[in-house]
Amino acid sequence: MRSKRSLLLVGFLCVLALLPLIRPPAYFLSFLFKMFLFIILAESWNLVGGFTGYLSFGHVAFFGIGAYTSAMLFQLAGLSPFLGALPAGLMASAVAFLIGYPCLRLKGPYFAVVTLCFAFVMDLTVKNWAFLGGAEGIHLKLVPLDIQVSRSIFYEIFLGLALVTVLSVRHVQHSKFGMGLTSIREDEDVAQTLCIRTAGLKVKAFVLSAFFPGVAGGIYAYYISYIHPDIVFDINVSILIVLMALFGGGSSWLGPLIGAGFLSVINEFLSMFIKPEIARMIYGALFMAVIIFMPDGVVAYVRKWAFRPEGASAASSSGEGEAQTGERPC
Amino acid sequence: MFNRIVILQSVVSGLLMGGIYALLGVGFSLTWGVMKVINIAHAAFGILAAYIAYWGLTLYGIDPMLSLILTVPLFFCSGLIIYRFLIQPITRARDIVVASMILTFGLAIILENAMLFAWQPDERLITTSYSTKAIFLGEIIIKVSSLVGFVLSILGISAIYFFLHRTHIGKAVRATWQEPEGAALQGINLGKVSMITFGLALASSGAGGVTMAYMYSFNPPAHNLWLIFLFLVVIVGGVGSVVGSAAAGLIIGLIIGLSGAFFPQQWINVILFGLLMGILLVKPEGLFKT
Repeated sequence: MRSKRSLLLVGFLCVLALLPLIRPPAYFLSFLFKMFLFIILAESWNLVGGFTGYLSFGHVAFFGIGAYTSAMLFQLAGLSPFLGALPAGLMASAVAFLIGYPCLRLKGPYFAVVTLCFAFVMDLTVKNWAFLGGAEGIHLKLVPLDIQVSRSIFYEIFLGLALVTVLSVRHVQHSKFGMGLTSIREDEDVAQTLCIRTAGLKVKAFVLSAFFPGVAGGIYAYYISYIHPDIVFDINVSILIVLMALFGGGSSWLGPLIGAGFLSVINEFLSMFIKPEIARMIYGALFMAVIIFMPDGVVAYVRKWAFRPEGASAASSSGEGEAQTGERPC
Repeated sequence: MFNRIVILQSVVSGLLMGGIYALLGVGFSLTWGVMKVINIAHAAFGILAAYIAYWGLTLYGIDPMLSLILTVPLFFCSGLIIYRFLIQPITRARDIVVASMILTFGLAIILENAMLFAWQPDERLITTSYSTKAIFLGEIIIKVSSLVGFVLSILGISAIYFFLHRTHIGKAVRATWQEPEGAALQGINLGKVSMITFGLALASSGAGGVTMAYMYSFNPPAHNLWLIFLFLVVIVGGVGSVVGSAAAGLIIGLIIGLSGAFFPQQWINVILFGLLMGILLVKPEGLFKT
């Protein structure tokens, strides 16, 4: 049963990886690319926000820092952004360490506000700093390839990165480190009395959760070839990833994956068929519905109904999301 | 350049601005303090009120101040309804702060896009018959519209203060803020108190939105920026404190005014957010809460 399921998963991944070979429309690849991006962001956010319960509303800042780092490396040193992505991730982690060390002492909404402010400060600082292009942004040279090919390359890279992120978060969740993080969410004071070094764990999780967005940002800069503070430090993205992760459910690695995937698809469909304002209103209503009816996220809700002892799975009724949620975290 | 007049002028206009932040922030602070509900949609309701005032003025020539007679009760009632049907279902959530933030964020998205849909993203400015007039005090200029907004804010905050300190229900609200369980043991109906607090908060956001509209142009997405000011007011003033919010509003206005005199315009927000982060790190419980 289990091997069958993992075989299915591997097969699904292979299909995804081989998808560019059949030359689907570039639009479709771009859409999946964006979906992978949100999966990376939401999943890495979950390391801190979901596991420890410290809501970081400024995670987009790490994405932006990564984008700017690799863009500057490209501009000044001519380093290819595919290589520059690593220093970009390290840079984001370093900033996360500096910010996280003092800020993670704050609890609940205060931490949320301070991270939100951090994202704003980064945005405004970059806008006013001529060295980083200021409010003009930075133009990067386009990849000297046919659009279909270049889209395929970026698609593959982000597919791989998303996979690595999801697997790392899953690994963390089942490790001792992850259990320490969960204990912080459940009750930090009690965790401390049990000799869990919560301060160190929090910073470690924060630094790790900044790394993946940094790498993604480094590559994304090259993908859009023009970076501007409004794009890479967009506060709405920051909030969106929080919502995506919590939509799916923050307590496991599966939640953000489902949340980001499902909401990306919904968003795309809605904005294709109806006016964007109405689409976003439906989007907002969706969040409200989830928080009222499924406070622990879609995944936990589905699991609760689908795996009841009586097997009364007919009660689950919330859309396409569950086709994948059926599988337990293995 | 930095002579006495410039500084005095920035102090005065900063204080006038600050009073308005205070009115907008006080309701936000109340819901946060009393109910542990962080209402992200607070500023969006303010924008809605500003639109009502704007359309009242443009279409029917009604003075924005008169529109408050409609807006404030309307917002109070919608606050009661929103509490009953949206907030109350989540009060039993494990972490109400987080749940309420996401819920009201959804509400803010809906409001923002409904307004965008109905009234386009154009910047609107309330232009009354007195908005070009000004009073001269020596060499200091005070715009009449700012003064009107400031006076309205003072009235609004005083009204909330007296409600909380002189009426029976108001005292129950304060008791709930200080110690919910103790208040419940004294026979205070927490659900009812929370409902009234939420109504009051929305009413104040309506009034605050109209006064904001006296000074700034607005469009639906502007609520994001206003929200930051709300957070500033609450963090500086301490959660749930009316006097703290009033003082915090004035202080923030003063800082904005003064930094406007000394620093280039684009760095003001950096200074503000930096300040907010600094205060949070050093004294997260706010400057005015003992």
